[in-house]
Amino acid sequence: MKKLTLGVLLSLGLMSGSALAASAWTGGDDLPTNPLACDATPGAAVAKPYDGGVPTNPPDRKGKKITVVDIPKLIGIGYFNATSKGISDAAAELGNVDAKTDGPTKANIDEQITFIDNYITSGVDGILFAANDPVAIAPVLKKALEKGINVVGYDANSTPDARQWFVNQAEFNGIAKSLVDNLAAEIGEEGAFAIVTSTFTTPNQARWIAEMAAYAAKCHPKMKWLETVEAQEDNNLSFNQATTLINKYGDELKGILGMTSVATPASAEAVTQLNKCGTIAVVGLATPNAMKPYVEKGCVKSVVLWNPVDLGYAAMQVLRSVADGTLQPGATTVKAGKLGDLQVINGSEILLGAPFVFNKDNIGQFDF
Amino acid sequence: MTASTAAAAPIGRSNLQRFVGGYGQEIVVLLSIVALFVVVGAINPRFLSDTNINSIFAGNAYIAVAAIGMTMLIISGHIDVSVGSLIGVIATIAGTLAVSGYPIWVAWLVPILFGIAVNAGVGALVAYMRIPSIVVTLGMLSILKGGLISATGGEWITDMPPGFMIAQMRLFGIPSAVYFMVILTILAALFMRYTAFGRAIYAVGGNMEAARAAGLNPERTVVGVFALHGLFAGIAGILFATQLQVIQSTVPPNLELTVITASVIGGVSILGGTGTVIGSTLAAILFACIGSALIFLNVSAYWLRAVLGLMILATVLADMIRRRRVL
Repeated sequence: MKKLTLGVLLSLGLMSGSALAASAWTGGDDLPTNPLACDATPGAAVAKPYDGGVPTNPPDRKGKKITVVDIPKLIGIGYFNATSKGISDAAAELGNVDAKTDGPTKANIDEQITFIDNYITSGVDGILFAANDPVAIAPVLKKALEKGINVVGYDANSTPDARQWFVNQAEFNGIAKSLVDNLAAEIGEEGAFAIVTSTFTTPNQARWIAEMAAYAAKCHPKMKWLETVEAQEDNNLSFNQATTLINKYGDELKGILGMTSVATPASAEAVTQLNKCGTIAVVGLATPNAMKPYVEKGCVKSVVLWNPVDLGYAAMQVLRSVADGTLQPGATTVKAGKLGDLQVINGSEILLGAPFVFNKDNIGQFDF
Repeated sequence: MTASTAAAAPIGRSNLQRFVGGYGQEIVVLLSIVALFVVVGAINPRFLSDTNINSIFAGNAYIAVAAIGMTMLIISGHIDVSVGSLIGVIATIAGTLAVSGYPIWVAWLVPILFGIAVNAGVGALVAYMRIPSIVVTLGMLSILKGGLISATGGEWITDMPPGFMIAQMRLFGIPSAVYFMVILTILAALFMRYTAFGRAIYAVGGNMEAARAAGLNPERTVVGVFALHGLFAGIAGILFATQLQVIQSTVPPNLELTVITASVIGGVSILGGTGTVIGSTLAAILFACIGSALIFLNVSAYWLRAVLGLMILATVLADMIRRRRVL
């Protein structure tokens, strides 16, 4: 029986020697990184030919009143209520758009396809969508294009040739820059921090971590990354991991970066329960509702995500530009009302811009 | 190697031998915990800080409490693979009641009663309809998990009243979850050892027909032990619900496996009839210890699963070897 104890300790010892080498920080992938400039200069778009679809013989809609239907993944939740508000704001501002939101009450691709199909039959000029499934939604969107309808996606893409343009809410390097800049502002240029992620192999998180490592090396070289821990998408595990990090590093640890909408509030909870508010900063990706208690108490200063109202607003503006013919394949920017000029990336995507930072002043305005 | 077999051990062995024979696995787990504290504490003394020890003991307290019920169930010769989902459902019911303005004691008590009722029902199906418990509870797993996601629509519960958060309360600087774990373990250990019902659980798990011949009512015992398991799952659910400010709408992945693993590594024979609740609680603490040690030693948390798997194999192997020695 002593062998069991010995075996456990031995294997622990062996495992502590193994290291994962890929990104400069554990948990990042080893794909090429593209860190943004340290100031607010937007990233250089890599030239890529237009790969979106083209509607078949659309009528001339330039300047004419158009009817637009928005079919998000589902309706009745805070997030898509916010995008819907952005769409109607833009429609009201434009004055020549009749826009409405409709869709399934559950995030179900079959129901979403039925909704789109019905609106194609009823005859609309434009369709906005956030796809429940990028591949499954493609045939019905292509059908819309064949009927001469303008199709623009936002939030969740389809295969590129099934729609004309897609409004991309955030790129990996943009999120990475925002997270690292906000963390540096809170813990100082020489502060030490740790990362709580889902798993080392989760694609989005691994991409963000690799981009953060590259951006920090370029713009905040003296910040000290301590380690990355995995917490899956589990609330209690995230809390335990964050607590253990705080216990392990003591005063050395100045900040925690949460990479998921589960890890960030759980890390904030750990900091709160250990009475470390004000001495350990938590910066991360999360939705406003989960973070409100910590932001309102002042324990967390910046929550990084994008603004869904702006996302809907941009999607509507893009659809109007496509219908007017002012946004053509090959364009490098598009005018989007109060948001100014938005950049075209990846052939047929439009970047919403820098991520949005929720803080004490604005978090109360959001409900998702 | 439980009290029951220890008591039947041949006369002539010393008390120490009998103690080691009776609590072999518990001693191994305890020594593993001590060894981890010594080794990791030597590498990084912060491992032994008050806050870290508190985190280790409180972090898995709800798993330990759930494992008490699971241990009783496995001793009786049955198993519940739905306990993780049940804990998720209980936490959601408790959170929903708490935010809907019901008195806090209602929010604590109703979900526990729900746990008891559900499991008594499962126990009745197992005992009187003769359906194997793994089949019934696999069904429950799907029902509870699916029902939970449909009912909550994926929404989290937040803004629970502070008075509801029982697991966060502290007495003498120690989180209340630790008291729950320790006191419930002691009560359950005494119950299993000294009450007629506790002895009946061992008897039914050891040999159902022999138990019947001895005048016990095995069916009633099985329903009873399922209800008891529901009680402990209910308390675990409340601790789970009140540990953090939010209740996730999804069940923690593999929670049922963690609970069952705690029971098995704690020394319960998966064949029924033997084991103690002290062992499963020690095992739950050992898991928290290993999880914390992995971070202190800069090892991926993924190894936790691998280490646990290794320990299960080692435990079962050790159980086999010890049985042969006894026979």
